[in-house]
Formats: sequence, C-alpha cells, structure tokens
Amino acid sequence: MFGRPRRNPQDFSDELQAHLALEAQQLKKEGIPSGEAEMAARRRLGNMVQSEERFYESSRWIWLEQLRKDIHLALRQLAHSKGFTAVALLTLALGIGANTAVFTLVHAVMLQSLPVANPSQLYRLGDTNDCCVIGGYQGSFSIYAYPLYQYLRDHTHQFEQLAAFGAQPSPFSVRRGGDTALPTPLEGEFVSGNYFTMFGVHAAAGRMLLATDDASGAAPVAVLSYRAWQLRYALDPNVIGATFIINGANYTIAGIAPAGFFGDTLRIDPPDLWIPLSAEPIVRGQNSILQHAGDHWLYAIGRLKPGASPGKVQAEADLELKQWLLDQAGSNVSAKERNEIGKQQIHVTPASGGVGSLKEHYKEALRLLMLVAALVLLIACANIANLLLARGTAGRIQASIRLALGAPRRRLIRQTLIESILLALFGGAAGLVVAFLGTRAILLLAFRGARFVPIDAAPSLPVLGFAFGLSLLTGLIFGLVPAFISARIQPAEVLRGANRSTGNSSTLPQKSLVVLQAALSLVLLAYAGILTKSLGNLEHQQFGFETVGRVMVSVSPAFTGYTPDRIYAVYQQLEQRLPQIAGVQSASLSQYSPMEQTNWSSGIHFEGRPEGESASWLRVGPHYFETIGTHLLRGRAVEQRDTPNARMITVVNQAFVKKFFPNEYPIGKRFGMKNPGDYEIVGIVEDAKYLDARDSAWPTFFLPLLQMTKAHWAESGLTRSNFIHDIELRVAGGTRDLEPTIRRTMAEIDPNLTVLKVRSFGEQVSVNFNQERLLARLTGLFGLLALLVATVGLYGITAYSVVRRTSEIGVRIALGASRADVVGMVLGSAILQIGLGLAIGIPVALWGAAILANQLYGVKAYDPAMLAAATAILGASGMLAGLFPAVRAAGIDPLQALRTE
Amino acid sequence: MLTREEKNRVALLQGTLDLLILRILLFGSEHGQGIARAIQEQSEDVLLVDHGALYPALQRLESKGWISAKWGNSENNRKARFYTLTKNGRKQLLEETSQWRKLARAMGRVLGPEES
Repeated sequence: MFGRPRRNPQDFSDELQAHLALEAQQLKKEGIPSGEAEMAARRRLGNMVQSEERFYESSRWIWLEQLRKDIHLALRQLAHSKGFTAVALLTLALGIGANTAVFTLVHAVMLQSLPVANPSQLYRLGDTNDCCVIGGYQGSFSIYAYPLYQYLRDHTHQFEQLAAFGAQPSPFSVRRGGDTALPTPLEGEFVSGNYFTMFGVHAAAGRMLLATDDASGAAPVAVLSYRAWQLRYALDPNVIGATFIINGANYTIAGIAPAGFFGDTLRIDPPDLWIPLSAEPIVRGQNSILQHAGDHWLYAIGRLKPGASPGKVQAEADLELKQWLLDQAGSNVSAKERNEIGKQQIHVTPASGGVGSLKEHYKEALRLLMLVAALVLLIACANIANLLLARGTAGRIQASIRLALGAPRRRLIRQTLIESILLALFGGAAGLVVAFLGTRAILLLAFRGARFVPIDAAPSLPVLGFAFGLSLLTGLIFGLVPAFISARIQPAEVLRGANRSTGNSSTLPQKSLVVLQAALSLVLLAYAGILTKSLGNLEHQQFGFETVGRVMVSVSPAFTGYTPDRIYAVYQQLEQRLPQIAGVQSASLSQYSPMEQTNWSSGIHFEGRPEGESASWLRVGPHYFETIGTHLLRGRAVEQRDTPNARMITVVNQAFVKKFFPNEYPIGKRFGMKNPGDYEIVGIVEDAKYLDARDSAWPTFFLPLLQMTKAHWAESGLTRSNFIHDIELRVAGGTRDLEPTIRRTMAEIDPNLTVLKVRSFGEQVSVNFNQERLLARLTGLFGLLALLVATVGLYGITAYSVVRRTSEIGVRIALGASRADVVGMVLGSAILQIGLGLAIGIPVALWGAAILANQLYGVKAYDPAMLAAATAILGASGMLAGLFPAVRAAGIDPLQALRTE
Repeated sequence: MLTREEKNRVALLQGTLDLLILRILLFGSEHGQGIARAIQEQSEDVLLVDHGALYPALQRLESKGWISAKWGNSENNRKARFYTLTKNGRKQLLEETSQWRKLARAMGRVLGPEES
C-alpha cells in the first residue's frame, strides 16, 4: 500500500467530469438530443460517488483512518467497563513492572557498556576475576606484575593503548591540606598514566592523568571522582590544583573525572580517587610491589587499533607472555619449568563492560529472577486473557450483530487485538512507575551494605524500549485467545439463543487458563519456599562466632614508615582506651575479621615432617576470641603477654587439628612459614567461618600481632599482616550510636587510622547473603503475587459460570437437587481446575528445581515438605475462591431464576 | 438499466478489461472515454465497457506501473487525462496476449467446432 505516488481525489473527480463532457459530446455527434446526451453519459458512468469512493478506499490512508476509528472504539469500550480495565491495568502494571525492574538490573549489570568512548574497541588481557596479589603461574593469565604489564604494553602493537590498574581498589585516608577535620576514607585505585587516555575520558574540570604523571620522580598527583567532588567538596573549583594529604603523603589534585564515570568495572563502592602507579611506593613504602616481577596485581585493558583484531592481539600477547616468563626464569631454566611456561596463556576478552565482577557474581541470580518474573507475567497474561474472554462472551451479541451487518471478520479480530494491545500499553506505562519504585527496592536489597552502587534506577532508553516491547508482546499474547474466539462466532447461533446458557464448551479455554495459572503459581510458591528455607539455613547456621551484641569497626591503617615499636604503642593505646567507651565490654584488634571474605594463606612446614603444607592464617590481638564469641577448646588464647618480643606462639582451629594432627595432641607442637620451629601451638579454638558461609571452616592458625622475626620486617608483604583492618567490640545490649565516640577516640590515638565503617556482626554476616536474600525475597513476593492473581482468576471464572448457569441451576433445584449438590457441583469444578493445575505444576516444579540446585544451602531442590506446603496453600486458596460462588449458587431461588429467563 | 440493444452484448470476464486497455493503448495515448469507445468499436459493439469499472481499472494499471498518465487536450480541445503504455506495460501486454491466445485455443478445442 505504501510507495504508490499519491493522487489527489480532486484530480480523479476532474477526470470523471472530463469523461462526462467527452461522452456527451460524442453522443450528441451520434444524434442524441443535447439534454438526453448528458443524462445518458452520466448513466453509463454509473454512480460517480461510488467511483470516487472506490478510488479513495484504494489509497493508502484508509487503513490509518480505520485504525483511528478502531482505537477510538477500543478506548470507549475500555472506559465503558471500568472495573475490568482497572483490574487488568493493575495486573499488567505489576507484571510488566516486575519484569522491567529486573531488566533494569540485568541491563545495568550484564549488558551495559562502560560510560567511555567507543567501548566496543576495548579488550581485556585475561578472562578471570582473580584478585589482589598472586604469585606464580596462573595458567590463564588475567592479572599482571608491573614489569610484565610494561613488557606487554611496549610489545603488543595491536593496541593503540594498553592501560593497567589495581585489581582491587582499597580505602585511602584523604584530607585536604589545611583542613582540621578528620580525614575521610575514599576508595582509591592505582592506575597507569594512560588509563584515562585509553578510555577516552575527558576531565570535568582540570585535567586527567597523563603518561608523564606515571613516572618515577614525577610530582605526585591524583584525580578525584565527580561524585566525591560533589558530595565532599561541594564542587569547589579550588579543589583542582589543591594539595591533598593521602595516606600521609602530599598529592596535587590534577582534575575531576567526568560525572558518571565509575572506573573500569561496575562494582559496589567504586573508586573515588585515581593515583598513578608510580605513586604506589609512596603509599606502600617498603611494602611496595611495583617493581616485583613475581607479584601479579594489575588488570590490563587496551583499546584496539583501527583494523586490529582480538585474535591477533591474543597471538601477540600469548607469545610475549611466554617470552617474558622465560626471560624471568633465566638461562638455567629446568625442562620442567620450560614445559610449564609453555602452557601459560592469555585469553583476550571483550571489555566493553569492564572487568565485570558484578556480572560474574550476579549472573545466575539474575537469570533466575528473569525467569521468575517472566512466569509472573505469564500468569498475569492468562488472567487478563480470562477476563477478556469473559467479556468477549458478554460481547458476543454485539460482535454477532456487527458480523450480521456485514463487518468483515478480520475487522472484528483486529478490533479485539487493538483493544488488548492498548490495554497492554497502558499497563506498560503504569508498569514503568512500578518498575522505578521496584528497582530502587531491588537495588537496596541486592547491594545491602554498599555506600554507593553506580546503577541508576531511573529507566533508560533501552529499559523503556524493553517495557514497550514487552507490553506489545503481552498484549498480543493475552489478546490472541479472545481474538480467535471472536473469529469463530456464528452470528445466527448466538443471536438465536441470545439469553440462553448453552453447554459449557465456551468456558473450556477459560478453565484451561486457570489450570495454567495454578500450575505456574505452584512452581513459583515451591521455589520461593525452597529459596527462603535455604536463606534461613545460611543465616542461622553455626558460624563459630556470635552475631549478637558484636560491633565491627573497619579501619584503614596508613602505617607506612612506622616502626614495629610505634605500631605496638598504637595498639596498646587502642586496647586500653576502647574498653573504656561506655557500653563496650571488651575490644580486640585483628588483621581481618570473620565473614569479611578475606583470606590470607601460606605454605607451612611442621617440625619433623618433610612435606610442605598450606593453611589460612591471620593475626589477632588479646581478647580476640572472647570478643567475637569463638570458644576456646584447649590451652590458651592470644594474650597480653604475647608481646612482639615474647616467644612466638600460635592458636589453631579444629579444622587445623583435624587436618594436621588427626592422631596427636597438638599443643606444644611447632611449625612455621619459613622455619618449622617458629610457632608453638598453645591453644585450640572452635571452627569459625571467615570466607564462604557455604564452605566448612578452613584449617586456620592465629598469630599474635607484631610477633615476627625482626629480620622479616624490612622484607616483603608479610609486614602488612601486622596492620589491623578490623577492631571488634563486644557491646552491652541496647548500645547505640557508638560511631561518633569511636571515631573521636581513634583520631585521638592516631589520625592515620581512619575509620571506614562501623557495623554490627549481624550486618556483616547479612551482606554476605545479599544475592540469596534478593532471590528468596523476590521469588517469595512474585509467588504471592502469582497466588493472588490465580486465586482471583479462579474466583472470577467460577462466579461467572454461576451467573451464566443461573437458570440451569434453578431448574436443577426445582427438579430436586439439594443445596449441597449445587455447592458440590460448583466447588467440584473449581477443585478440578486446581487439581489439574497441581498435577501439571508438581512435575514441572520438580523438573525445574535442578536450576536452583547451585543456589541452595542445607536444603534439597526436591524438598517434599516445601512442595507439600505450596500444594496446601494453593489448594486452600483455590477452595476459598470456589466457595463463595458455590454458596451463592446454592442460594439461587429457582422461581426467581426461571422467571428472569 | 438494460435496454434491448444491449441484449446480445457480452459482459466482460474478470481481468480482461486490463488486457483490453493495454491493447488499445498500444496504438498511442488515449483518455478514458476514448479507451471505452475504442474497445466498443473494435469489438464491433459486442464488448461494452462499464464506465464505472473503467476508472478503477485505469487506477490499478497506473499503480502497477504499466501505464502512465498526463493531463492534455483532446482533439476537440477539451481537457482530459491521457494514458500511455509504459515499457513494463508493453511487456505485460505481450505476456497476457499470448496467454489469452493459448486459453482461447484450448477453449475452442474443448468446445468443438462452431455449430450453426
């Protein structure tokens, strides 16, 4: 219809007029009198108006005109049945809203590119999310030592730029020069000088880092995030060029990163501060690993040259890696090691979304949520299709009359579809509001404990597109069945028996939809139950420490340049002053704390055993175990007397004993990291979980803070293990608002010890289960929603069938059916539908439960109790939904019913 | 309205009008009324074109690109819309003509020799 050159109707009319004149002239020439000639010509042309109309209809605008009329009619019909429209809109708003909210999260976490120039040109060297600092061969390399990065940067010619950055941002204590206020903790990240150039990111103010800033001896500079500039410094232009004291050293703020830039990776609490790699030795002092070829701690992302391919990069980088490793190994490399180096490789992966750690973490949960949300929408669709069907039956007479008067069938179908799609679009619009509110709730639930997550709850263009597409699709799905039914209407039949209830065949589609709803609801309810039970198991397990009445203070120690004695003095003051705070019963210091998802582990050697072993370990202060509530089982804990210069001792956990001393009495035995005789075991504590709540506790040993061979102090990363990152407090019940006092006390003792956050142990444990909680709560919510919708659906269809069968029931009662018979008849039909739904839903739930298996803890995917509970809930709701109409049916007065006929 | 003189005229088969129009235009451009007349005359008054059907047919052919139209003056100096056969139209005419011939021959064979 499109593409035809449009001809204006006036032109056509002119042509017909010309025809009349020519014909009349011809007729006159043939001898017909002038008056009759015109008449004859007109007669032979036929109905001019009809001709013009036919011309008009053949033009392409007619369908638009019809569409306008159909939409108008649909709107009038929707406005006419307000109750139906309201219920349908509400159902749709919830269904589409839930899906859009989940999609907002999926889009932000899984699909969205970094807010940088041409993200599709970005590629990462590596494919895993290894963290922090790793030594040795990685097999598939993802994380690089600085010298290795330099080598790769200088030799990989397929990259326009190759930038490196620390795998894990860490908190820095930041104070503006001249400020007397306490330093604020900001997440900071070490980045190569070409980091911002590589991303193509331009400064909001001042300038970004340059390659010249990242050179040894360059004046120390830093870049601040727009967010920090706004929140902490009120967009003060004087910040640019100002001197800031970062972990005790002076830096000049070169500029502000653009608003919305959150670094290389979408993560919780992204960095607010970017510092050149060359400043790493300033920050870490003697613990600097910048020049260590054996400590890998940097990710690498590069921008491809135009025309370069990831495949070529991979080939280049692979070769360079092996070459570099061989160079490092030296000339007398053993055949075995050479062979090992040959197996090392680099996988080049697209990095348009950055490193993607959130993506890895939330992938599975998001997939499940999408599925669950889709199920809810499907149930909502079934419900609305049902409502439309009920209305369609009522509208059969109207449709029949239209058909009888000559309306084409496709016009009727189109009308029904337009009505459905309009409804869905309105529902989608309302759903956007639900989605906006829902997304905020989901973000809070998903990232509990985060100070900031760079995900916007406001719908973006792709999200709007998703909602629109979903609405259209929804409208088509729930509109198809009624459209199909109205296409099969036999007008003569309908009009003949206009008010009579004929057989039940017309309600078959409606009943099938209720069965489908019941089945899907059962699946959702069962999953919700299983996931909630699993969450409960996780949260209320035996952690090996107390979660009640315990407060954890995480701190950032800027102890660079401190001697052991100075640190010891600080610790002594802390141990003395903290318990004096009102409400604090005991306090302890530690390198890290339980369920913080941090772990140090090292190779160890036992006295008298040749083979090397490995175990987790951390350093703790006196009163540590009693403060966190881990029970001492044998011997003694770390105490006051375990000073830096005292005999070196260690306390081990049960798992350690079980693994290394299955048949021996461990107390008095010795082992060490370097020398087997270093630490003497003096006590055994119960197992407590530090890393993964799903794993059992790892074999762990606890060392007193600062007890290390002095010769080791100047050497290597082990020194850092003496810096405390956590302070544990045992507080009296009802103690609140400790934070200001703690912050003040800490600042008085040492301003380089910045308080990052203060939270309860319970909260610390809880944030570990964000993903599980998100899944359990949302599935539960969606399950309830599905139950509600299905129950309303069943009620609707049952009530409706009672109304339709009023006269039939009247006849039955008149013929002697008892009230109980009638109740049984109506209820029986409802129970049959629910029963069928259960019969379908239970196998589906069992079959689908396998996808949950990875998410579960302490409960099987085939949990019969949960399935039974879900069945009972659904059965009860179904009974309730059927009971009201059944009672109403039993109350039908046969005389009344037959008279109204 | 049927008059007596129209009794032995034959109603046009569906689809034949298009072919006839194309054929008439082979002689040169012509306006609608002229086309109708030409069909009538060349069929020796057997085929009578319903003028009401003529213009939608012309419209259809124009939209298919087989004929093109232009306003001009008739021989007795009246304004009229003149239709011309396009290159595509010529091709279509050839194709349809040969098909008609084939059909007519086949019909003739089936119906047998003319009686009377």
